[in-house]
Amino acid sequence: MPRIIVDGRQIECRPDIPVLQAALEAGLNVPHYCYHPGLSVVASCRLCLMEVKVRDPRTGAMVWSPKLVPSCQTRVADGLEVRFDSPAVRANQKQVMEYYLLNHPLDCPICDKAGECYLQDYAEQFGPASSRMIEDKLKNPKKDVGPRTLLYQDRCVLCTRCVRFAAEIAGTGELAVVNRGSRCEIDVFPGRPLDNPLQGNVVDLCPVGALLDKDFLFKQRVWLLRSARSVSPVDSSGQTIWIDYNEHGVHRIRPRFNQRVNRWWISDEARFGWKYIYRADRLNRPLVRQGARLEPRPWEELPEILRSVLHQAAGQDGGAALAAVLSPMMSCEEAWLLARFVRQLAPGAALVTGHLPVVGQDQTFPGGFVIKAEKCPNRRGVETIIRHFGQPHLSFSEFLTRAAEDRYRAAYVVGGYPDEWVSDGVAAALAKVQFLVVHDLFPSRLEATAAVQIPGAAWAEREGSFMNCDGLLQPFERAVPPPEGVKADGQFFWELAGNRGLFQAAQVRAQMADHMPKFAEVFTPRELPRYAH
Amino acid sequence: MSWRAIDRKTVTDEQLGPALSEAVLDKIRSFFPRYPSRQAVMLPALHIAQEALGYLSLRAMHQVAELLEVPPAAVLDAVSFYTHFWTRPRGRKVIVLCRSLTCELMGGREVQDAIQRRLGIGEHETTPDGEWSFMTEECLAACEHAPCMLINEKLHRRVTADDLDRILADPENDRLSTPRSDLYDAPQPCTSEFGGIVV
Amino acid sequence: MAFEPVLMKHVGRPGSTSLAAYRADGGYQGAARALRMTPDDLVELVKKANLRGRGGAGFPAGLKWSFLPPDRKVTYLCVNADESEPPTFSNRVLIEHDPHMLLEGILIAGYATRATTAYIYIRGEFAEQFHILQRALDEAYAAGYFGRNILGSGYDLECLIHRGAGAYICGEETGLIESLEGKRGWPRIKPPYPAVQGLFGQPTVVNNVETLACLPHILTRGLDWWLSIGTADSKGPKMYCISGPVNRPGCYEAPLGLSCRELIYGPDFGGGMRDGLKVKAVFPGGLSMGVLRGDLFPKAPPGVIDPKADYDELDCRLDFEDPRNYGLLGLGTAAAVVIPQTVDLRDVLVSVARFFAVESCGQCTQCREGTHWVYQIAQRIRAGAGRLIDLDIIEELTASMGMISGLSICGLPDGAAWALRTLVRKFRREFEERIAHQEPEAPLRRARGTNLAAYQLPVSHGRARAYPGGTFYLVEADHSNE
Repeated sequence: MPRIIVDGRQIECRPDIPVLQAALEAGLNVPHYCYHPGLSVVASCRLCLMEVKVRDPRTGAMVWSPKLVPSCQTRVADGLEVRFDSPAVRANQKQVMEYYLLNHPLDCPICDKAGECYLQDYAEQFGPASSRMIEDKLKNPKKDVGPRTLLYQDRCVLCTRCVRFAAEIAGTGELAVVNRGSRCEIDVFPGRPLDNPLQGNVVDLCPVGALLDKDFLFKQRVWLLRSARSVSPVDSSGQTIWIDYNEHGVHRIRPRFNQRVNRWWISDEARFGWKYIYRADRLNRPLVRQGARLEPRPWEELPEILRSVLHQAAGQDGGAALAAVLSPMMSCEEAWLLARFVRQLAPGAALVTGHLPVVGQDQTFPGGFVIKAEKCPNRRGVETIIRHFGQPHLSFSEFLTRAAEDRYRAAYVVGGYPDEWVSDGVAAALAKVQFLVVHDLFPSRLEATAAVQIPGAAWAEREGSFMNCDGLLQPFERAVPPPEGVKADGQFFWELAGNRGLFQAAQVRAQMADHMPKFAEVFTPRELPRYAH
Repeated sequence: MSWRAIDRKTVTDEQLGPALSEAVLDKIRSFFPRYPSRQAVMLPALHIAQEALGYLSLRAMHQVAELLEVPPAAVLDAVSFYTHFWTRPRGRKVIVLCRSLTCELMGGREVQDAIQRRLGIGEHETTPDGEWSFMTEECLAACEHAPCMLINEKLHRRVTADDLDRILADPENDRLSTPRSDLYDAPQPCTSEFGGIVV
Repeated sequence: MAFEPVLMKHVGRPGSTSLAAYRADGGYQGAARALRMTPDDLVELVKKANLRGRGGAGFPAGLKWSFLPPDRKVTYLCVNADESEPPTFSNRVLIEHDPHMLLEGILIAGYATRATTAYIYIRGEFAEQFHILQRALDEAYAAGYFGRNILGSGYDLECLIHRGAGAYICGEETGLIESLEGKRGWPRIKPPYPAVQGLFGQPTVVNNVETLACLPHILTRGLDWWLSIGTADSKGPKMYCISGPVNRPGCYEAPLGLSCRELIYGPDFGGGMRDGLKVKAVFPGGLSMGVLRGDLFPKAPPGVIDPKADYDELDCRLDFEDPRNYGLLGLGTAAAVVIPQTVDLRDVLVSVARFFAVESCGQCTQCREGTHWVYQIAQRIRAGAGRLIDLDIIEELTASMGMISGLSICGLPDGAAWALRTLVRKFRREFEERIAHQEPEAPLRRARGTNLAAYQLPVSHGRARAYPGGTFYLVEADHSNE
């Protein structure tokens, strides 16, 4: 581990990284725009320049070199001494910030990026206090560069992060720099818009408010948002995200750095695939069948109803006619609680892995990012738990076959999918189950024959953990409360099992870890340095 | 919304403009063996395409991108960077007047005013009959003959406003008398009509 | 002892571009001699000759060649014929009149660097010169000077001409390499240096046309002859360009160390000023090096060289060392443009500032924004709305742009900084006088402009001006809010 000296402080850092990265990881606030650890180095913004101690060729002594060197371009070497807090470096930072502000429009009051803008921050921390520019500013047009992204060109600082992302990580190269000199702009080829499955990341990469997400445009000020650490449920890779929310609900999703899974990026699916939690037709009351109709019942009555019915259905044969379908959209804790409840009630009940939504093939991008074909977050977790509880366990198709043969008197089916999942085959098979409990987000054809319909909560409204396709267990926090009338799944299963008090995922996980050591290894990604962006 | 964003998502067939003929594409392909990478053929390809079409239409840029196996944005990038390439139709003869220090000292401004008055066009504009385009450029490296200007390939030296008639009528503006290599010449110009000249 | 031109000896002779004429005068003998040496010995020879680059930077060619990694498989030689520095035209003269001298130099340099392919990057505006050079190259190929097994030595060299398309920045080493690779000519960050990782990722050497044209002469006439020409640190002949209102504008060859006064007034060189005018200023090494005061100013006391004092500086010797004593960045391209006493320096400031603003590539913040800002200030000063503080602003901006090298990726802002700063500093009095003679309210009126917004920053809607290149999405200026 090399040791370098920055501003007189000795820092031990990871080998083979730029000095800028080492300084940021040590908590220093070094201004930079064009550098990003996931992209190639261009050293074009000239903000991160530092002084290096070099050997004077004439005297042999170590002196501060009069030449400033970009810190993003210099790799750490054991014994390297640099400084950012010197008059020359500060003067350069101030002057470069003045240059950036020269042609930048005064858009802060109407710019989405305000509050998380690195031009604002650096201008305040490193820039000049007033402007001495009395010339006309250069004005650039606004461009509609893609179905989900806008480019407000006159705010652009030409860090070229977006261009490098499109070329290196997404591999599609839709963005390019056009023109020359002060006339430089970012643009796409007309008719070839920015439209790749990772394009939302350029909005995060942009240090100013030039690239904007059409979805979030003018919706909310960022300082009115809070962030929850979550894991995206859109596919099995387990991309870690921040959910930005406030009392009005979820506003947007951003990537959360994860050195093992998605690094700094998330797919557009993960970024924009949360609107379903606000669909108007969400189930919002527990319903129990009375004759031909489903009548609303209070939550308190449900555990009693369910226990008695399922006990009855279990009957004499240990529950061979009872099945629990655990959706891969459930968290590990919820799956554990439900599975344990059902097996305690009926040791012979079948535990079934729910329907696996698969779309196409795994898509791999040049930067190494993979969008998985399996569009559910926790198949691995659910299967591990089911296997722990032992036989009988079935795949969904096996279960459907048996259900169609009238083998089940009762079944507890958990859904929770964002899209329609009840196909003709599923509806027909489950119609044969005498006592069907459906625990889902949206109404479906199962309503026609369901005995009990329980409204589920979406992942953003629950806490728990998902196990990704590689077996990594990642916890997620609750961001927003479930809609009125809906109880979080974990809380319901906790009460169903006869417990009192609040469901706490960590507590349940600890219990699980006693039985399955795998669930003791929770993976929390490394936090990004405070001043890295 | 009170602002207007330029739409880059769609482009009409008319905006795409004329295409390059197969012969021109073959000419570009003949440059592949000269370089180890396809992208390096960018500048020769753009020169050839511009010689053939008179300017670089979006469709031509697209064809070059396909040929060179690069994203079309990379071609747009190169085209917009260099001053030689036109993305709007230009006249049959392009006047490139030097505007750097020496030519300015030696009377370049008078020549510029004379040309603009005579042809009735400003910088980077084309006459309505499609004959002349005018642009200024930084140092043409002929400072001993300042003021100097290029008309197509012909370098005119010691240009004065009085001499303009003779210079504009010089037959070498259409074809140089110096024996020339045909390395970059497109074999035949594109036959598609690009209609009236956009001024 | 009269100096006999070697680089320009064929200039002006009819039919000088043909191979036959070149060979008749002993052409390609230098190459033949070089091919009999080993490449390493050849590099040593050029190092001993201290052949410094004639393209502007003055970096020793032999040293540059020695940076190539010894275990390389592929080497590229790039010939920098993208001569765009105003007011230089020596490369054009060479290519127009004696292309074979350049080609012989390429052969020698290629052999010394074990180059596998040589690319001649010639600027797009040199259309006629391209045709001349290509035909000369065809002749040379036909005669066996390029291609396989050149002159039976077993050495293979492909030489290809690549036309540029109008960008000054493509004359910068890595800008040229990027342009050759088909991308925009944005210079690369160094390290890695081109000698290690250059064109197409392979070891590359970039040399100027005139530097290469010197090589045949070092070989035919020998090291001693070469070392006998020039000054102690600057060896060899140089093609000096002189332009502006002198009697004999043109390109003349002389040993390094010619004084600026001789270049302007010497009967074999500039031949004196037209109409008996005096010289106010001269840019002796191209715009990027800076400006010298002319003989409009009084002569300095003997032995005194003080760029801060208002003395005539024409005694500056044009070699690689002396210009620095006069506050210049270096020799540059040794191309002088003379500014007579009748010219308003504000026009010169605008012209110089405009050049760098237009040719800046746009990568580095200081260069992109700074050159444009100085151009705007210069325009305002010329329009009669300047302020004294503008001169201070220009000085400060140039300090942050490039007085110390390394602030930007390439040397363009360094050139801009030295040109603008020396102009404003050395002629400060004149600028101050002009500003003093303006209308007093002009700057304030101009600053308030058309927009009476509270923060008094006028913003013009639409495009500021139509730049060459004809972008197809040129939006019309919208004045409806003014």
